Amino acid sequence: MSLVLSLIRNEVEKTWRSRWIVFAVLGALFLLIAGGLYIYYVHLENRWTPQAPVAWQSQLRDQMKSNEQEIVNLEQVKQQGRGGTVRVGGRGGADLTLDQAIAQAKQAISDDQYLLDHNIAPVQTFAIAQAALFALGGIVMFLLIRIFGWLASEQIAGERSDRTITILLSRPPSRDQVLSAKAMASFLIGLAVVLVTLLIIFGMFAFWFGSPGSLSDQAGIAIDGNNPLGPGNLLQMPIWLFVFMCLGAAMLGVLCVQGMSLLISVLTGRWAAIGITLALLFGAPLVSTIVAGILFLISGSQDSSHFLRYLFFNVLAPVGSVAPTFGNTTAAAGSGVTEFVSEVETLAVWTVGFFLVAWLLFRRKQEAG
Amino acid sequence: MSALVEVERLSKSFGRVRALSEVSFSVDEGEVLGFLGPNGAGKTTTIRILLGLLHGDGGTAKIGGHDCWTDHARASRFFGATLEQPGFYGFLSGRDNLRQFARMLGPVDEKQMTELLGLVGMTERADDKVKRYSMGMRQRLALAQALLGKPRLLVLDEPTNGLDPNGIHGLRILLRNLASERGLTIFFSSHLLSEVEELCDRVVVLHRGEVKASGPLTELMNVKGFRYRIDVSDVDKALEIVHGVDGARAEPGTIKDSINVTADHDIARQINYALVSAGVGVDQLVRTEQGLEDIYIQLTGVPVASPLSSPVAPQ
Repeated sequence: MSLVLSLIRNEVEKTWRSRWIVFAVLGALFLLIAGGLYIYYVHLENRWTPQAPVAWQSQLRDQMKSNEQEIVNLEQVKQQGRGGTVRVGGRGGADLTLDQAIAQAKQAISDDQYLLDHNIAPVQTFAIAQAALFALGGIVMFLLIRIFGWLASEQIAGERSDRTITILLSRPPSRDQVLSAKAMASFLIGLAVVLVTLLIIFGMFAFWFGSPGSLSDQAGIAIDGNNPLGPGNLLQMPIWLFVFMCLGAAMLGVLCVQGMSLLISVLTGRWAAIGITLALLFGAPLVSTIVAGILFLISGSQDSSHFLRYLFFNVLAPVGSVAPTFGNTTAAAGSGVTEFVSEVETLAVWTVGFFLVAWLLFRRKQEAG
Repeated sequence: MSALVEVERLSKSFGRVRALSEVSFSVDEGEVLGFLGPNGAGKTTTIRILLGLLHGDGGTAKIGGHDCWTDHARASRFFGATLEQPGFYGFLSGRDNLRQFARMLGPVDEKQMTELLGLVGMTERADDKVKRYSMGMRQRLALAQALLGKPRLLVLDEPTNGLDPNGIHGLRILLRNLASERGLTIFFSSHLLSEVEELCDRVVVLHRGEVKASGPLTELMNVKGFRYRIDVSDVDKALEIVHGVDGARAEPGTIKDSINVTADHDIARQINYALVSAGVGVDQLVRTEQGLEDIYIQLTGVPVASPLSSPVAPQ
């Protein structure tokens, strides 16, 4: 065990000493974004300090009013006979007919009313939950997961290119120990970066909300975001557990990418490994979207491309499927806990598969030089 | 003496290319063994199998009685190794590189690391990043790395690559001391026959994946007949005449106005008589020892690399 710990220490040290610039750039980027947002806040609100916190009940009532106004607007468009579709959810969202959009807005109002009636706070009214949803399910994971993939792809391939693999594999640690140490070191580095990111974003949301909020309160999440909230369609849990669940799911995504990268790393040299990994992580979702589009054009149904959800690169941030559940706008056509669990299961299968194949190949891999 | 390295009928193919064909040899404890052969002979493949980087298709390779592939963890406790073109983490210093490799053996012994850096003459540059090292410095650091953990066997694959004549000379002295003072077993692969001749007790000559000769240097050098160097007034005419002498094989010598003659029995008088009778002036006829180079050429049919491609150590 102490040998594996020494190997993990080696790996962490090597990654830090060779790639510290990546972490420095990331840190600078986050600081820049935080600074930019703060300036925007000062400009928008005309104040330097945070606003007073708003009770979640008031937030929901505001959102209900906003949705009611949207319904009025959509009804007007409908009466004018303009028809057509409404894009909800921004880029990557779905095109809905006017009737579908109105129905969704009505459901959002009904959901909010249910939560108010039963005194259940939706997750997005907590600063820490918003931070978790944004950091672990949103744009941040989009960036981080690719960086982690790149770093993991160098783990063995880099040793091969630097010719240090001959020393690494001729020393007493077994190949199983070497691979485990590399996987664990990659995971720990990923975890550290994700946690720091989460904390930074939590700080930003806490400022925006006017308070860091509570960690022990109960929060509700829809089980199926497409259906109205009710006793059978609402999961309640302490907010800390929700954050922990999001962190676990996000780290499973990280682990899956690292498993894939290690597998590629076992087989190739440094530049090939980095190239293949990044091509997969950036290119595959794009190809998948094109394929989904073609299938939709042919069949006219979104369901025809549902199988693409079983490809790991489409579900790397399962937290993202919880995020829109309580958007409380017409864009709130979320997926809920059911989809979240399904994505986590898909990821788990891929992760185990990647590591298993990497392990089988690595222990038999011959280093002919 | 017991055998520390045992290679039995070891075979290895890469696709259709047969790299090793039933190679067998052993290295005794405390012995310095030279492993010779031209490029592509299978030397590095053999060494990679011993280090657990490759596994053979047939036969066995054991170190300290442990199979190098299936029981690698135990076998690797016996040796330290350097491979041709040693690799290091360029972004770390020499000392940090050693620390990385030392952690693979257990708790890091800083004192031993400092001693090893001193032993290979790297104390002053130990804290510089390896990416700024010359090839020779990398070779020396590789040797320090191989000596970490006080191994009983040192496996060296072309350790003189990139070393200047002074470096080669220093390495020779260091290896000789390690063998004589610490009783280290050394398995030494090199193109530099003079180094092997100077350092090794025994040699194994490999050619096209097969062992062509194996045994103590003294035995190998004395079983291959007689050799003469003759300084003559006319090389071409001398070659023509010597070819006519029964049992003589002649070629131009490397020294100006000289020829080299080999024969299975002593024919010095016959050659001298034939040359003088034909009017060729003979300034000197010297019987020379057969060197490792001659044996190597006879066994492999491959000329030794020229001094330009492989610098020879100063004598």
